[in-house]
Amino acid sequence: MSDFFELIVGATASGCIYALVALSYLLITRPTGVINFAVGEWAMVAAFGGFLTLSRFELPYPVGMALVLALMIGVGWLTERIAVRPLVEKGAPPLAPILALLGMLVVFREVVSVGMGPDPQPVPPLFGYGRLELGLLAGSYQSFFIIAVTATVFAAAWYFFERTLAGRSFEAVAIDRRAAALMGINLRRVTALAFAGSAGVAAMAGLLVSPNVSAHYLMGLPLAIQGFTALVIGGVGRVEGALLGGLILAIAEQFTVRYAPIPPGLAQGVPLVLLIAFLLVRPTGLLRARESRA
Amino acid sequence: MGEILVAKGLSKQFGGLQAVADLDLDVRRGEILGVIGPNGAGKSTTFNMIAGALAPSSGTLVFDGKDLTGLPAHAMAARGIIRTFQHNKPFASMTVRENVMVGMHLRLKGSLWRVLLAGTGAVRAEREAVQRADELVAFVGLGDCRDADVDTLSFGQGRLLEIARALASEPRLILFDEPAAGLTLAECERLTDIIRQIAQRGIAVLLIEHDMRFLMALADRVVVLNFGRKIAQGTPAEIRADDTVVQAYLGDLGAMAHA
Amino acid sequence: MKSIAGFLVAALVLSAIAFMLGSYHTDVYRKLLLWITLALGYNFLFGIAGQVAFSHFTFYGIGAYAMVILLFQVGLPLPLAILAGIVVCVVLALVVAIPATRLEGFYLALATLAFAQLFIVVLNEGGSVTGGPGGLANYRLPDILGVRVTGPWYTVVIVFLLLGTLAILWRLDRSWFGRACRAVRDDPQAAQAMGINVTTTRIVAYAVTSALAGVAGMVYAFVDNTVNPPIFGLENSFLLLFMVIVGGSGRHAGAIVGAILLYLLPFFLSPLIGHHHALVFGVVMVAVVLFQPKGLIGIWDHLTARRRMAP
Repeated sequence: MSDFFELIVGATASGCIYALVALSYLLITRPTGVINFAVGEWAMVAAFGGFLTLSRFELPYPVGMALVLALMIGVGWLTERIAVRPLVEKGAPPLAPILALLGMLVVFREVVSVGMGPDPQPVPPLFGYGRLELGLLAGSYQSFFIIAVTATVFAAAWYFFERTLAGRSFEAVAIDRRAAALMGINLRRVTALAFAGSAGVAAMAGLLVSPNVSAHYLMGLPLAIQGFTALVIGGVGRVEGALLGGLILAIAEQFTVRYAPIPPGLAQGVPLVLLIAFLLVRPTGLLRARESRA
Repeated sequence: MGEILVAKGLSKQFGGLQAVADLDLDVRRGEILGVIGPNGAGKSTTFNMIAGALAPSSGTLVFDGKDLTGLPAHAMAARGIIRTFQHNKPFASMTVRENVMVGMHLRLKGSLWRVLLAGTGAVRAEREAVQRADELVAFVGLGDCRDADVDTLSFGQGRLLEIARALASEPRLILFDEPAAGLTLAECERLTDIIRQIAQRGIAVLLIEHDMRFLMALADRVVVLNFGRKIAQGTPAEIRADDTVVQAYLGDLGAMAHA
Repeated sequence: MKSIAGFLVAALVLSAIAFMLGSYHTDVYRKLLLWITLALGYNFLFGIAGQVAFSHFTFYGIGAYAMVILLFQVGLPLPLAILAGIVVCVVLALVVAIPATRLEGFYLALATLAFAQLFIVVLNEGGSVTGGPGGLANYRLPDILGVRVTGPWYTVVIVFLLLGTLAILWRLDRSWFGRACRAVRDDPQAAQAMGINVTTTRIVAYAVTSALAGVAGMVYAFVDNTVNPPIFGLENSFLLLFMVIVGGSGRHAGAIVGAILLYLLPFFLSPLIGHHHALVFGVVMVAVVLFQPKGLIGIWDHLTARRRMAP
């Protein structure tokens, strides 16, 4: 039975990672409508950043994390500046930024591959490799850390969107771009902020997951797909959807691996089948977006 | 009867909102029927139901003796009901001529096997299509722009393209969605002329319009909607004299002043 | 009539080249022809029909594996295997097309991405049927009527595959169907109003191009005489997209140019950057999207138009 609860903790931790990646998409997609395939690579770059600052240079954890976060926020801003803004200002079709970001995905991956080599690199977890037991729930320190950080990030995101002016302007742009601009909302700033924030969240995901899986230059795309899936399941319009979707996906995945009588390799297909199923049957996800017009 | 389209009891509900209620409407071959009404009267909803863009909540649509109620847009088009769009919707990657040729889809469409085995038949069909497209383009007055990319057209020219493209489908009923909107006076006059010629060819025309002067001068008959219901029907002169119509427009004195 | 002569000439020239190459260059040439074939099909799906799908290369894999499995595991004689292989490709293309085309833009891309990954998972877990992660190898094309089709003669087969694909797509493009595909791509609502059944158009475009990719895969099976999961991964799907964009999306010539450039580029760049040529692809892709969205063929158009305007 304790087995079961341990699985719950592990699944929740995985779900949190997916949720963070899903949130990363959401932050860009809602205000700009751009699908950023590169979020997985952002997470990957952050993971390597973690490796460099924490393993190679052995900086203290908070310092290393802060550095990587700051760097990635800059990378996010830069990505928007290079690959998205010129297209938006030129009036390019909506597909164009998505394609440009796809190109950036490959660039990020190859740069890291050239710079850091094809081998996985270790990233140390903050609290070491011990286990924690909270009543029935048991799991690694890292798992609990992941859950705690994710909860904080989502609480902050909720607060941002519900209570701050900047967050409300995001929503306004998401609902009606033109109207928002006419109301004086600076579209350029919202977009830049969206990308920067998204990269920050993706970086968080990369930093949190890498102690478990090591930093590897190919880790981006699978993470991106899982994040997408989480977003689709939970609902593309809401922050809560990202969290819900991530948890559902992870639980479905892990419980299938553990309890279903199918070979573990096939279990990799679970998120993919779920994604396809949701896209066909319920593309808007489980949670409806808030009503657009009052 | 000369009616080609008979709508009976047409209704459309959106959640709690009754956009159109129990509407009876008919259009005769070769006539120009105008549909007017204040904002929110249900003109667009009615238009979209006839065009197949919306399925009616209840009621029937009979076209040339056949019940077409609830068919989707492309099926309506296949049976001869063609609509234009108020905000011109040209195919942006194509030239004027190519746009009109898309309008001939229903005519040119055939077996894909024949496309692949492309005998001289297919080649001839394409050549004839090009000729016919050029004729239509000339008819609406865009002859010089045949090869132009559609993004170089002015708004008024884009409107003419909409019409040429609609005509290419060989419609028996054309639905015009505020065709005069955004046009200059001169363009309106040309439009009036074109629509009259279309009706003279025996094609039924239904148009919704806000520009009273334009519509009253052009329409043979007028139907007035308000709050989703028909409140009056008759010739332009009758409508102008109708008190209920004036009442409905009391909030829109500017429009009535031009009627 | 002119185009039949053109095709014959092309067939002759391309086949002649096959006979002039040594074994290393033959391999490069064959793969180049196959990539051009795939790019042409993908260009139709993505550029002309406007469907953002990542399943094209997956159907290539389905065709390849189907051929090998039907021939050497089911044990069908070659003509039957070819027929069955084509049927499998067409049926699967339709089966995927019908739900896939209900999705638009982002969702279609996502679903086909998931489908592509799922294919790899199935291949890896396919046990002895698919050969698992190692794939299937050590087979060769059976003799046809006692004749062993190998070397430059097999390259000729690929030449005909390429020209056949081009002919089919060209014809489709220049017909009412091609116009309908473009109309659906540009404005589905307006297309509906013209009587075009948007769903059917999308399904046919997806099914035809996917089936063609599958047939190309069937031919590919005997190029390396090995099929395994890594060959058919997402990387190559991205490369295909890059080829079409860089060459010029929506134009057959663009697909050909893009395929030739991006396939041959690594060979010239390898002394400089080893096998990190993907980096160059990514950079070129971003550059093209930003600065020359019409692709390389757009540059060509620009130059030839200039010449035409001069008195």
